[in-house]
Amino acid sequence: MGRYLIRRLLQAIPLLLLLSIFMFVLIHLMPGGPEQVLFNPHMTAAARAEMRTRFGLNDPLPIQYLKWLSQMLIGNFGFSYADNLPVSYLLGQRFPLTLQLFIPAFALALILALFLGVISAVRQGSLTDYSLTTVSYFGIAMPAFLLGLGLQFIFGVWLHVLPTSGTQSFGVALTPLGAFFDHLAHLILPMLTLATLSIAGWSRYMRSSTIEVIKQDYMRTARAKGVGPTAVLFRHALRNAVIPLITVVAIDFGAVAGGATITEGVFAWPGMGSLFFSSLESRDYPVLLSILIIGGTLVILFNLLADILYGVMDPRIRYA
Amino acid sequence: MELYDQVNLTPSTLVPEEWEPLLEETVELVQQRRSQGRIIFDRFLRNRTAVGGVVFLILMVFFCYLGPAVTGHNQPNLIHPIPLSAVLNGGVKPTWQYPFGTDDVGHDWLARAMVGGQISLLVGLSSMLIAILLGIGIGSFAGFFGGVIDNLLMRFTDIFLSVPLYLLLFVLSATFTDGSPKSIILLIAVLSWMYTARLVRGEFLALREREYVLAARTVGARNLQIMFRHILPNAAGPIIVSATLLVGNNIIIESVLSFFGFGIQPPTASWGNMINLGDNLFDVNPLLVFIPGLLIFLTVLSFNLVGDGLRDALDPYMTER
Repeated sequence: MGRYLIRRLLQAIPLLLLLSIFMFVLIHLMPGGPEQVLFNPHMTAAARAEMRTRFGLNDPLPIQYLKWLSQMLIGNFGFSYADNLPVSYLLGQRFPLTLQLFIPAFALALILALFLGVISAVRQGSLTDYSLTTVSYFGIAMPAFLLGLGLQFIFGVWLHVLPTSGTQSFGVALTPLGAFFDHLAHLILPMLTLATLSIAGWSRYMRSSTIEVIKQDYMRTARAKGVGPTAVLFRHALRNAVIPLITVVAIDFGAVAGGATITEGVFAWPGMGSLFFSSLESRDYPVLLSILIIGGTLVILFNLLADILYGVMDPRIRYA
Repeated sequence: MELYDQVNLTPSTLVPEEWEPLLEETVELVQQRRSQGRIIFDRFLRNRTAVGGVVFLILMVFFCYLGPAVTGHNQPNLIHPIPLSAVLNGGVKPTWQYPFGTDDVGHDWLARAMVGGQISLLVGLSSMLIAILLGIGIGSFAGFFGGVIDNLLMRFTDIFLSVPLYLLLFVLSATFTDGSPKSIILLIAVLSWMYTARLVRGEFLALREREYVLAARTVGARNLQIMFRHILPNAAGPIIVSATLLVGNNIIIESVLSFFGFGIQPPTASWGNMINLGDNLFDVNPLLVFIPGLLIFLTVLSFNLVGDGLRDALDPYMTER
């Protein structure tokens, strides 16, 4: 296990390096630069050249890459072209907001997917199972932004019960506690959107893996020695049934991150996703590059985590 | 003849009378011996939801390609004269003249839905085709040759898989595409071949050890012949299934890109950019969003149902029903 872990970690390093080169070259192939973002018609050609030098854009590309990489490894993501602020400061502002959206959505999706998957599996072939299957088919075919728009319509335009964008209501005086609940109310719809997207697929996995497990002999043995049906399900079946789901959830991280970006765009939630969209529009390349690198690194780490968790949770799996 | 008469040995006595209809049926059953393809086809036909998906897709193709000519709503970019009250209220609500209504400028939403559907289907299908070809190319070489080639190609695939797909899509479409269907098709294809490549590689890894591959090699078939004449047809099932699912997936990608304004650019209509336009009038005329939204949803759902139906029909472990 230990040796396997070390080998997997070592394999991840070249992948991360390749990813960073890929992203870096990609961003530098894009047209434009700081002098276009901070465009000023009175600026002389000399001043523009000076600006490029200040951002280190006149060095050969490999030198630029090495400089950027060494700075990034010590936590310096560079300066934003548009805001003239350190990128790490911008990310630090936005990241907590994304986590506020991501963590509850992730938890809700996981719990509901587990619950619904197990129910479908236990009542296989029943009306409940068929309706859950149908709903999950609908969920899989539904693009994130469309679901978000639908929820905005139902709860915002039609029922007038929930706010549909941003993080706070404007033009109302609120006590600190009121402001907190106001913030929570703004969180509900984007969180539901993000959670619903994953529930559909994950509950399918949970269903099929539970069906696989409850057919096995040790389940019958447990029932025969007198364990109650609920206890068998939760103590004996779930442990094994949840293993494939854990892997799928970890591998799906990239898709969920993409879904979060789209959700933030639809609901104007000012997290990393909105920062991504605004820096894409203003061609703020240092910010874009940082977001891409962080996203890619997280995807690789979560894939690694999936492999490791797989082994931890299922001792039958041997690593060669 | 006499002998026959004596013992009364007519065919009807050789076989008990009540068996006769069964005998006739046996002949029919033998004649009905079905080919592999026929068995798969019959199994698919018995899956009612999948057949429903096929029927819906055929109707959708008719709607998008013949609809403009049949209904006369064939001018998606014409600005129809609409009353001022409609301009101020987010467009005409559905009437006989405009069954899907119009937006606040006077674009006929039915005409745009049909022409936009042509674009969305075109983008979904052709990007799938390119992605599948890329996936087969990379996956087959990696799986067949193994070793260094496999390692290189799969690390290359891993890079693409480790980038959050939508972020890269947005970045690339914002800078490297001109908003034409062709550029969007290429972009989506370049970012959606990875799962097919992994799938094809897996199939090739398993199939290259089979006896028929050895037999082909023995009679002198070259590598490329073995790969594409012998192995590929045997891997066709899973590839077809993933191709079907990929179409729905790519239609979603197109609509997301266009919704955020990075995909197909107006005046060319697509379901995605119709939603983008309708979003501005969402609180006054939500139908502008819901009509293209429903079309996307139903089309993607149908492709997914057909894909799942094909998977079940092609699965040799499914018991013959």
